[in-house]
Formats: sequence, C-alpha cells, structure tokens
Amino acid sequence: MSKIPRNFKLLEELEKGEKGLGAESISYGLTNQDDITMTYWNGTILGPPHSNHENRIYSLNIICDESYPDKPPIVTFVSKINLPCVDKNGHVLVEEFDTLKNWKRSYTMETILLELRKSMASPTNKKLQQPPEGSTY
Amino acid sequence: MAALPKRIIKETERLVSDPVPGIIATPSEDNLRYFEVTIIGPNQSPYAKGKFKLELYLPDDYPMCAPKVRFLTKIYHPNIDKLGRICLDVLKDNWSPALQIRTILLSIQALLGAPNPDDPLANDVAQDWKSDEKKAIEVAKEWTAKYAIDETEKTNDDKDESTTKESTQ
Repeated sequence: MSKIPRNFKLLEELEKGEKGLGAESISYGLTNQDDITMTYWNGTILGPPHSNHENRIYSLNIICDESYPDKPPIVTFVSKINLPCVDKNGHVLVEEFDTLKNWKRSYTMETILLELRKSMASPTNKKLQQPPEGSTY
Repeated sequence: MAALPKRIIKETERLVSDPVPGIIATPSEDNLRYFEVTIIGPNQSPYAKGKFKLELYLPDDYPMCAPKVRFLTKIYHPNIDKLGRICLDVLKDNWSPALQIRTILLSIQALLGAPNPDDPLANDVAQDWKSDEKKAIEVAKEWTAKYAIDETEKTNDDKDESTTKESTQ
C-alpha cells in the first residue's frame, strides 16, 4: 500500500463530505472555499438520542496542518459541551480521546466526528449536565 | 511497500527522457507515485507565459483508474475550481488504461488553450465567461500575470502595472 499524499487525502475527504456520502449524524467542510491548502475545516455533530445531547448540534473546528494524516488534526469545539475529553477551552485532549491518542493514517475527519459522537452516547457521558443550548467557547 | 509497477517506472523514465513540450513532471523523492508538475500556458491563450504548478498522484489502482491531479497555482478558468480541481473527461468517465500521465497533462494544457464554459466546474467563472468573454479573458490574463509569472519576468514584460485592475474574484 502506497502513501496517499496529504493534499489528495484531504481532497478525497472533501469530496465525500460534499456528496453527503458519509454518516448522517456528522458533517464537515472547508472553512474557506478558497483555501487551496485545505487546512481549516468546520465540523458538526448531531447529539445522540436518549442522552442529554439529544437534538443538539455541536460545531467544531478542525485543523489539518502539514503533518496530516501522519499526525492527527487539532480538534476544538466551538459549541460548549460537557465531555471528559474536552477541556475548559473546548480543545479535544489527545490523551483523553483514543482516536487522536492512537491515531492511524487511515483515519479521517469523519472517523473523529463519529467517535466523538459515540463518546457522547457512552453510559457515563450521556447523563452529564450540559451547558445551555447555543452557548459557545 | 509493494514494488512500483513497471508501467509507472517506464512512464516516469519517458517523461524525463522525452518530455512533452511546455510540460515538466518530476516524481517526488520520497513518494514515486507523487509528481510535481509545471505546465506553461499555451501561446495565444490568456495563460500564455504563465508557469502553472500542479500536483499529480497515481493511486494504487493506476492504470485501471485515472491519476489524481489538480492545480496549485491560482487560475481563472471555467473548468478549474478554486481548489485547483479540474473538470476534464479523461480524468473521469473517459479514463482508459490506454491513456498515460503524458496524455493527461497534454489534455490539461489543451484545456488551457480552449476553455469550455458550457461544461463548467467553476460556475461563477463560467457565468462571467459566457456573459462577457472579452472581460473574462482579461481577468484570466491578470491572474496569470499575478500568480503564474515570476516577479523577475514581470519587469522584462512591457505590461504597465498601473493599468492592471484589481480582480473582483
């Protein structure tokens, strides 16, 4: 298996995001449509049902710098959320979130968003008190 | 890492020994499926004298599937979008294993010589091209001068900088 270069991997992810071929509970796209380097991305996660996140939509920023996908992107919540792997400024902590901690080159932004959603639905996290809807960091 | 297929080795060697006029394609040292490409804009086109940088990648399934390629230099063209993606039939439905890297690059060079606003990828540019072709061509020339021609070359050009309008794009 050869190494797909950063730019072409991001183009692949972009096209999947544009076509809506991914999961329905998450979405992502470029922050700036003109960004030829494809570094800054917006993500959204629909809060899982049967939890305190139900019916909420969480916005995130994702930064895929030059080291992506060899290294994981930097993921930050814009919408406020009470989740153990997210610090008081909205940053997703690498050490507390397995997908970033044990990052694989084959992972994608979709992988991250889906795993964050899964984390929200875990038995302990689904009961956590959440900030008022619409609040941001 | 599987050995590089002979076809890719052959194509790469030939790109160096028998280059296509106006096109340079160089494989990356650390990824022989990734090429840095430069295409000189065709004469008698708004892109004339421009040196356009592209990047090209040969997926695992090449030549059963098309190479991936896009512009890195900003370009004002109805068939090339803001991220440098190219709307070209041989890169999509009309790809065939009989085609090669050089065929693709020649097709892209030809696309610079003959923009097709009726099959657009950059819809806003195509709209401009159709509503006022003369003006669109001027914008394409401005972008070429701004993004695709080295600063040193500009001073040798007889173009008057003060007459260059700021693009609204």
